[in-house]
Amino acid sequence: MITLIVIALALGAVGLFYMAVRSRKKQSRETVRPVDLKAFRTLLDRDDEMFLKGRLPRTRFARLKRQRVSVTMRYVGRIANNASIVMRMGEGARMNADPEIAQTAAQIIELASQVRLQCLMAFAKLSLEFAIPSLQFTPAMLAPEYQKLRENVARLGKLQSANLSPVRVAI
Amino acid sequence: MELKSLLQILWIVGMLCQAVLAGVLLLRRAWKTFPFFSLYFSFSFAATVFIFAIQRHRELYLYSYWLQEAVGITLGFAVVYEVFQTLFGCHPALRKLAKAVFCGVLVVLACIGITVLIKRAPLGFASFTFAILTVEEVARIMELGLLMSLFILSTTFGLHWRQQVFGIALGLGLFLAVELIAVTVRAQIGKTGHDALNVVRVVAFNTSLLIWLGYLLSPERAESSVELPHRSQLEQWNQAVMELIRQ
Repeated sequence: MITLIVIALALGAVGLFYMAVRSRKKQSRETVRPVDLKAFRTLLDRDDEMFLKGRLPRTRFARLKRQRVSVTMRYVGRIANNASIVMRMGEGARMNADPEIAQTAAQIIELASQVRLQCLMAFAKLSLEFAIPSLQFTPAMLAPEYQKLRENVARLGKLQSANLSPVRVAI
Repeated sequence: MELKSLLQILWIVGMLCQAVLAGVLLLRRAWKTFPFFSLYFSFSFAATVFIFAIQRHRELYLYSYWLQEAVGITLGFAVVYEVFQTLFGCHPALRKLAKAVFCGVLVVLACIGITVLIKRAPLGFASFTFAILTVEEVARIMELGLLMSLFILSTTFGLHWRQQVFGIALGLGLFLAVELIAVTVRAQIGKTGHDALNVVRVVAFNTSLLIWLGYLLSPERAESSVELPHRSQLEQWNQAVMELIRQ
């Protein structure tokens, strides 16, 4: 039995490495996708939710809440994806000879890492809300952190040549 | 062709690949960026040549082989740590959490290792070789498990692997996976099929050498310029939800 488990672990590892090679290739083709932060904030607004909860029958509210949560999750997914791309680009800019650019890039990487962490938290909270719609776990930090990241990317875009401008516009 | 002759050919091919890789590492001054990997590889190269040279002296070969395995495993752990450091080096926010997860995984793997040791002990500790194989199996489980956790963590955190680090991790991972299967099977079947298993192990090691060579020689991919996307379905859903909320 132990032998089989160990062999399965080794084969699983080979599968994981194969997937990593594929996802690395895919990663290089990933693009920044715009996020409408205003709409995202609206989706996170719990006053809205309380209002709906008071007005709608339970089943209808649960259905609506689940729809809302799944759209929010898509937004969080986008934010996570954008943060990952920004981290990757920041790594390149961190090596820049200009210390101001290098420092801004380092800040951006740090911020993007924090946004990724917030996204993981948000996913966990939203999954719970999806399972039990009456729960309320607002991922409150995510939108302001992302806003901060946006501003820093814009700053880096100004400092650096034009090739970061599309990100500035897109995220 | 007999398995023994095939093994000798593969061994020589491996040494040639190692010589080329050694040249590449020297030219690229890889010891500055990857000191543990350079040490791991240098030791492995030296050990392969030495063991090849003394293969007819049975006793010396046996002790040298086990010593090489022990040092190789220890240095393998160091390489995994080096990959971890390189991957999370510029992400202090993630490094703290990743370190905690990494330590947790290490504890879980140690428990799995102890379980394997306990389960195997009553059957085979009469034989010295079996005991060593079991210890090696446990060490390989831990090494491979840690490397797998690195791949999983990097995907979870959306980290980008640089070309060379990815190559090092991938080559080592593939070698460790085959090595784990070989050690486990060998402990079970004894001397039967020993040569066939050795061929598989040498092929795996040579493949890892080619992976390391390939990734160390190929240049770092330049980041493609970021394309602006078209309006996707998400905006439409957003619109629909907003309307629903406003109702």
